[in-house]
Amino acid sequence: MKKLITAVVSLGLMVGATSAIADMESDRKALVGHFKSILPNVEFADYTNGVYAVDEGSREQFEEILDGIPPYEDAVEKGGAEYLKYGLNKCAALADPAAARVKHPYFDEKSQQVVTLEGEIKRCYNEQTGKKLGSSKGKIARISAWISDQAAGQKINVIVESAGAKAAYAKGKATFYAKRGQFNMSCADCHVYNASKKARADILSPALGHTTHIPMYRAKWSGMGTLHRRYGGCYKNMRAKPLKAQTETYRNMEFFHQAMSNGLEITDARYRK
Amino acid sequence: MKKLLIIALSVFALTAQADFLDGPHNWNNGSSDSFKSAIKAAETGYKANLAVDMAWRDTGKMIKEAKKLHAAGKTAAAVALANKAHTQTVNATAQTPLAMSAGPLF
Repeated sequence: MKKLITAVVSLGLMVGATSAIADMESDRKALVGHFKSILPNVEFADYTNGVYAVDEGSREQFEEILDGIPPYEDAVEKGGAEYLKYGLNKCAALADPAAARVKHPYFDEKSQQVVTLEGEIKRCYNEQTGKKLGSSKGKIARISAWISDQAAGQKINVIVESAGAKAAYAKGKATFYAKRGQFNMSCADCHVYNASKKARADILSPALGHTTHIPMYRAKWSGMGTLHRRYGGCYKNMRAKPLKAQTETYRNMEFFHQAMSNGLEITDARYRK
Repeated sequence: MKKLLIIALSVFALTAQADFLDGPHNWNNGSSDSFKSAIKAAETGYKANLAVDMAWRDTGKMIKEAKKLHAAGKTAAAVALANKAHTQTVNATAQTPLAMSAGPLF
């Protein structure tokens, strides 16, 4: 009888864990399917190139920029020097930079929170220097970009297994699809349903692949910025009050957002308009 | 014919009466008390929106600006702006329950 109960409970746990994965995986497949239907000529792997995968004219400019000296090259190099200067290699979580990029974001069972790469860099920087590090641009973006460069070519692989991870993922998903602000628009309104269409002079990038080239260099910023900096910009565009970078809401959204790009290669081509 | 006349007269009487009625009562008539109640409503709503990460971009600025106008003695303009800010918080509150369970449309 005891064996039977154990077997039933184990089976229940296995089914529970599988359904958590299935939720994320079925969401991802549905999103990929949606993009296949609206952009049938774009190969899955090409979504790493964002808007440049869907617009030929912009693609040519992008390739010209990459063929020359990309404007972020010095910043990324500086980020590498800063990684060593501030002793970030001494923190176990960042000691292997390529592995750190692939591992993050992940759900930490102990704190029941999503841990992002930038969150880990901030924590380690504070541990090593006793000082606080910003969250959106400058040093953190440079260091994070250098760490991400070490993982170029590897694939995004966000894992959503436990009940806690599933809950954080669900919250992030709701944030991504929620209409907000005076324009009553969601992230998905632009980057899912209307991706590749024009919003004034700009072409809307597909959400699929968004997180493969972060932190990014934006010509509009004339510099580097983290994913959460970009979230803030999108919130402002929707006339919603942006949240602070690395808040729980943004971390959960990043968890969902990165999971949707599972299977796509991390790239060091981080230039965006 | 008699019935038709009665209906026509009734409609006329109701219309005439309606014309003499005031519009919806406007409590915010530019007095300092009306500013206090308007700004309190805006601030309460804004605080609630912030707590659930659903505040609108300009509401805080509008509240600040309304306070400045009130301090400068421009009470009517201050009340109008505070009411606008309050309306934004009402609309943001209306977005909130849908936001909690939002999902894809495909």
